[in-house]
Amino acid sequence: MRKKHRKSFSLMIYTLLIIGALFIILPMYITIITPFKTMKENSLSFFSFPTSLYLGNFHTILTSPQYYAAFFNTVYVTTGTLVLSFIIHPMMSYALSRSIQQKPRYTYLYYFLLAGIFIPFQVKMMPLVILMSRINMMNTTGLICLAIGGSTCESVFLYVSYLNAIPQDMEEAAYIDGASTNKTYRLIILPLMKPIVATVLIKNGLWMWNDFMMPLIILNRTWKNWTLTLFQYNFQTQYTTDYSLSFATFVMSMLPIMIFYVILQKHIIGGLTHGAIKD
Amino acid sequence: MKKEIYPQKFWNKSRTLALFIIPGLFFYLMFAIVPILMGIRYSFTDWNGFSPHYNNVYFRNYLRIFHDDSFLHALNFTFRYTVALVCFITLFSLLIALLLNVKVKGSTFFRALYFFPAVLSMLTLGLIFNQIYYRALPVLADATGLQFLKGILSTPQKAFWGVLFVQIWQGLAIPTILFLAGLQTIPIDQVEAAQMEGAGAIRTFHSIKLPYLYPTLTVVLVLALKSGILAFDNIKAMTEGGPAGSTISIAFIIYQHGFTEMKFSYSIAEAIFMGCIICFISAIQISINNKKKVSL
Repeated sequence: MRKKHRKSFSLMIYTLLIIGALFIILPMYITIITPFKTMKENSLSFFSFPTSLYLGNFHTILTSPQYYAAFFNTVYVTTGTLVLSFIIHPMMSYALSRSIQQKPRYTYLYYFLLAGIFIPFQVKMMPLVILMSRINMMNTTGLICLAIGGSTCESVFLYVSYLNAIPQDMEEAAYIDGASTNKTYRLIILPLMKPIVATVLIKNGLWMWNDFMMPLIILNRTWKNWTLTLFQYNFQTQYTTDYSLSFATFVMSMLPIMIFYVILQKHIIGGLTHGAIKD
Repeated sequence: MKKEIYPQKFWNKSRTLALFIIPGLFFYLMFAIVPILMGIRYSFTDWNGFSPHYNNVYFRNYLRIFHDDSFLHALNFTFRYTVALVCFITLFSLLIALLLNVKVKGSTFFRALYFFPAVLSMLTLGLIFNQIYYRALPVLADATGLQFLKGILSTPQKAFWGVLFVQIWQGLAIPTILFLAGLQTIPIDQVEAAQMEGAGAIRTFHSIKLPYLYPTLTVVLVLALKSGILAFDNIKAMTEGGPAGSTISIAFIIYQHGFTEMKFSYSIAEAIFMGCIICFISAIQISINNKKKVSL
């Protein structure tokens, strides 16, 4: 009796889980199959599996200079942000966390750095256009600078609270043994910070890859500066009739993220949830 | 011997630490603080963004907000949108987390699948669902007889839900995993004890599990609240504010006023107004969290 009850219970759980999964899988299924069909095949049936793998859409996308520019711009912006953020933010947070303990006036600096966390991007949006065009940075490098400036609050907050929680015996020992501050940081602190660095970099990496607002305001002047999100957006407005081509652009933009997700799934889930709790 | 070296070394250390701070501080000042200050300054002027001259208008931009029908309409939309988003996300993410928490075969697969939307861009999803609403749902409507599935983005009423659905679709992932992590902190012996004494599933959930989930609940609420107030990408991708301006959110109207209608300084005043709302909500969150810490 009890066993039967359990069985029907788990059957119910499965049913509900599968219904939910369909909501996620169906849009993804349509996204992936559509570009493999010609427009003719698509207009006959939107849902059916492609009869023959038609690669013309991908050929068109992959030979368009706009896609290449967008892809490399996105890669440049994302890696540039990650590298700079990796160099600057942990170092700054380490210095802040240790200085606060010796000189209380650094606390004010820390609060000043956190203050921006509550200010939405829209407040900076219009002035940024003026500022960036004045200093001639309406380009991808300018976008990296914006990303570093904009992610400071969150990253410093996550790093400093992590650093405050780890014991300081090791770095003191290294320090007494004669290691310089720089060396202590690189050889002892940075390796200890690995989990939180991964969290912050995953968060920032996904943000930059998927961001639409910042590229829209500073990179939308020429297609040479487009990122993948801008490329998709502008492409859609140009080729509204040939939607199987649009779907090819969606697939080509999501593919790198999908591959990353399959490989690093555990780290990405952990990183994003940890980052969200601390916000 | 050691005492003599120490002050020298200490001075070196604090100097190195100060140097460590400078690059980050530079980027923060230059690309976050300077634009904010510029924005505050411009919000008190009537500058349109490019003319050489502008006048001080003091608080007139801020006062104008409360008489601007289009902004009040956007405020109304954003309010309804955010309330609906928060309700759906909290409810559904909690339900999905409870389902995923049951130990059945393949639950790791489902967990990975349900989290997947979190890594996709809202813009891409908006564009994809555009096509799905336009091409797939009418076919489905004819097949099933559910006629309301036709032309989702063409009437104001349906467009609201059409845009909202995409954000729920993407926004459920992180709250679900947060609730799942929260559920795993619940001691199993307490749940078992309650069940031994005859508490049903709902009673167990309400009396035993829910108190453990309160901290997660506040995080989820605030995350959903902020994402609702800042809704932009999906609206830009799907409706551009239409039909008939019915899906214009605050973030969207700020963009529209600033970039297409050349109301430069006015749009900054609107943005600062929105920033104040977010600060207010964050302040409430912090005070709730602090109270919790005291009571624990």
